[in-house]
Amino acid sequence: MSTWEGFLIALVKTVVIFGTVVQVAALMTLAERKFSAWMQYRIGPNRVGPFGLLQPLADGVKFIFKEELTPDGANKWLFRAAPILAALPAMMTIAVIPFTPDIVIGGRNFGSLAVADLDVGILYILALGGLAIYGVILGGWASNSKYSLMGSLRASAQMISYELTLILTILAVVVMSGSLNLREIVESQPTVGHWHIWTQPLAFVMFVVATFAETNRHPFDFSECEPELVGGFHTEYSAMKWAMFYIGEYSAMTMMACLTVVLFLGGWSVPFWESAPWFVCLAAFLAKTSVFLFLFLWVRWSLPRFRFDQLMRLGWKVFLPLALINLLVTGALVSLF
Amino acid sequence: MVKITVNGRVVDADPTKPLIRACHDNDVDVPMYCYHPGLSPVGSCRICQVEVKQGDTPGRVMVACRTQPVEGMIVDTESPKAHATRRECLEFLLKNHPLDCPICDKAGECDLQDYTYDEGQAEGRSNEPRRPMEKRKSLGEVIVLDEERCILCSRCVRFFEEVPKKAQLTVSDLGSRSTISTFMDRPLSGNYQGNIADLCPVGALTLKKFRFQARVWNLVKMASTCVECSRGCSIQVEVLRGSDVKRFRPRANEKVNGHWMCDVGRFAFGHANAEGRLEGARILEGVTMLQFPIEDGLCAVRDALMATKGALFVLSPFCTNEEGQALLDLAKRHQGEIAFVAPGPNALKDDLLHTGDPCPNRRGLTELGIAGQAPGDLLKRIASAKIAIVAGERVVELLGTAAVKGLPGTVALYAFECHPVESRALRCEIGIANHVERAGTVVNVDGIRGPLAAVKPAPRGVRALGRHLEDLARLSPRKETASR
Amino acid sequence: MVIVKRKELSLSEKLYIPEVLRGLSVTFRKMFEPKITRQYPEEPLVKTDVTRGQPRLVVNENDTIACVSCGLCEAACPAYAITIDGGETDRAIEREPVRFDIDMLRCILCGFCEEACPKDAIYMSDELELADYSREALIYDMDKLKRPKAALQKRIDYVNRINTRWQTPSST
Repeated sequence: MSTWEGFLIALVKTVVIFGTVVQVAALMTLAERKFSAWMQYRIGPNRVGPFGLLQPLADGVKFIFKEELTPDGANKWLFRAAPILAALPAMMTIAVIPFTPDIVIGGRNFGSLAVADLDVGILYILALGGLAIYGVILGGWASNSKYSLMGSLRASAQMISYELTLILTILAVVVMSGSLNLREIVESQPTVGHWHIWTQPLAFVMFVVATFAETNRHPFDFSECEPELVGGFHTEYSAMKWAMFYIGEYSAMTMMACLTVVLFLGGWSVPFWESAPWFVCLAAFLAKTSVFLFLFLWVRWSLPRFRFDQLMRLGWKVFLPLALINLLVTGALVSLF
Repeated sequence: MVKITVNGRVVDADPTKPLIRACHDNDVDVPMYCYHPGLSPVGSCRICQVEVKQGDTPGRVMVACRTQPVEGMIVDTESPKAHATRRECLEFLLKNHPLDCPICDKAGECDLQDYTYDEGQAEGRSNEPRRPMEKRKSLGEVIVLDEERCILCSRCVRFFEEVPKKAQLTVSDLGSRSTISTFMDRPLSGNYQGNIADLCPVGALTLKKFRFQARVWNLVKMASTCVECSRGCSIQVEVLRGSDVKRFRPRANEKVNGHWMCDVGRFAFGHANAEGRLEGARILEGVTMLQFPIEDGLCAVRDALMATKGALFVLSPFCTNEEGQALLDLAKRHQGEIAFVAPGPNALKDDLLHTGDPCPNRRGLTELGIAGQAPGDLLKRIASAKIAIVAGERVVELLGTAAVKGLPGTVALYAFECHPVESRALRCEIGIANHVERAGTVVNVDGIRGPLAAVKPAPRGVRALGRHLEDLARLSPRKETASR
Repeated sequence: MVIVKRKELSLSEKLYIPEVLRGLSVTFRKMFEPKITRQYPEEPLVKTDVTRGQPRLVVNENDTIACVSCGLCEAACPAYAITIDGGETDRAIEREPVRFDIDMLRCILCGFCEEACPKDAIYMSDELELADYSREALIYDMDKLKRPKAALQKRIDYVNRINTRWQTPSST
């Protein structure tokens, strides 16, 4: 394989993955509205295109043509940088997610459908995921608005608190699979019986809850708590800048759903068909991801919002000790057997 | 004065006036239709019945308008007996009174309507139809009579007998067909016909000019003074939606006009409602008059006054005392001469109210030290002056529109007027408010001060003359002319 | 003062998860139930007897307007939406409006005008749509407000029916 070919293959993979992520983020806005409508006996958007499928496009056009407002006294550069910082980390972390096993077409092996196959994939995700908080904090602070500031402060406290749980639960999985490489983690759970959801049920539950907090989703969306904070950290944002926050949020959801699948549900592994071809594996991966994406929406339209002190109590007093104990026990058991 | 007890309260009463007057003077409400404080009482409607006790006699229900107050009289206007009697009277009055309130111009200020509401007589007990009568009977140029609505109180009949002292109306026919009519069906004449529309306690007599023009509760009403002659009758100005003066009505003032006013004054809202007002300021630029903001107009006047001494100030007799004083001060400051236009008496003079003098504030301006001068003499003075300032409502009209137009170009004419002025001499003209748009005082022929009220807002860009003069006095002589 | 005692939570409730799942199951089931959304322009609004739409003026069978411009609706209107100027006619009822404007932007569709009218000349029609391209076009004059009596009959009957419930007809 020449350098050129390698470059071309990497380019195609990158375009496919990022294109898909952005598309998924757009479709998620539609899905959000559709599912919420169905749960409330409504129909949801159905005017733009068949079943309202072109609604995200219409929204995008609207966002582009809306007036961009910058509040008086805002820090202009940070105000502009914040939406980008909010959207970037989620898109970048998706780079290390392996979607398929090695793709073999006509006897040629093109490698796994992933932008990069990093040995420190988990660390990369955690490092970049930690940056997502900057978008929220800067957005809130640079707006020069008390609602935004309050929202961003809450969000930062919440994201930092739950990052601990998130890391500790991931570590439990890492201990189980013995690798920081996401591809190897997937390969360590080839059949349904090997999925870490069975070996690490507690870690799985805590991880899923922590992803909700990490992505600022309901029922932990204190950064944009409408009744108290108008719009939270993006109160002062409008048009495409505002849309960037949403692209960031939905990308983060997509990314977190992928990560959950990779860590706990065996990634691309197809239940009861170990030697499935790569496209079946991809389909399996996407199906599993969709379930978690749906879970994000489902929870949002079902549960009431927590109170901030309840959230903090849950994070520090329940999840952190549990995650630590879980890791300790896992470590002990793994070293023993 | 005698002491009587009204509803448990001991009050002073004038024995020469009927009991109802004593009640009204002491804020005790007694309904009345045929009684009117300006007319002799007849006691025909019987609605003012009250219970009266005197000495040891049991209470008797009597008509308050035909009973004289006597020392020690005990009056109860609200006793069940009095109420019952009044209710019966009311029911009879309503028997043939049509349910016309939605189309009746009196609705809202109708004594019969008000008292029916008070007594709660909403439903009739009679199943017979009301007597049909003439709904639109013209009584001359001013008044229309609706015979169905008439309750035969005869106030209108007595008015012509007692006030102009020339009977013109009578109650004709008999029984339920009784109606008000003129002698030999001749139309009403005289300058006081409009008063009977105010007098009528119901909507039987209405003014042709006000008919269906407005609902009375939509009218904004303010106390003011009539400016059509030097009598200065106290009036009420009624304006619809802040734009149209719909009525002038007399306001009771024993010292000036009693309860009446003449038709000339009553229908003089042509001036108040006139279109084509002069708005802002217009200044001569080259050969044409161009529109400018008021400040520029005032600057032009100021500059002219500063440049030339001995200006001639010509006032309108419609100027209020305050405006007269301000102009007098201005004239003194610039060593000018001052006079007001004083046309001679007109033919409208009569023995009752109209003085025949078209200058409403002649006395007030004269007392300030401004002399009145005939229009012809004033025009000659203007023509020979270098600079003349004419100020006030209708001043050009009183000087003679044609004569002002023909003034020689040698005189620089500056005008404060309600309407655009046409003259070769004109240098600048500034719009002012008329007598229903500005406040002030005028003094009538007998030296009694009357208020003018700003009942409606002046058109855009128009201010009262007083405001212009204030600003003119404030404009510093050193200040440069505002940019044109 | 009422003291509400907090409900003692059971273990499963304290654990959140079972209750969360219960909540999720509710919303999930609701997703498949029939929808109640009305597709508005295609599916017209349902008009019943009590539908109280926009005020309209009654035109009698003989093409005369029932209104006598008494101004009671104008006075009753809490939003000052109505402006009436009266004028004289040759008909038996001497008065009729020469100008009757309802500013539909101001109108709050409260129906006070209908209640106030002594001549049964203004009724809340079943017309519900109110949209236009300019503010001026939404100040409805008499021509826009006039409706033949037949078009308003449903509402007239309804109002008469509910009024007679507590009113005895007067002989006058």
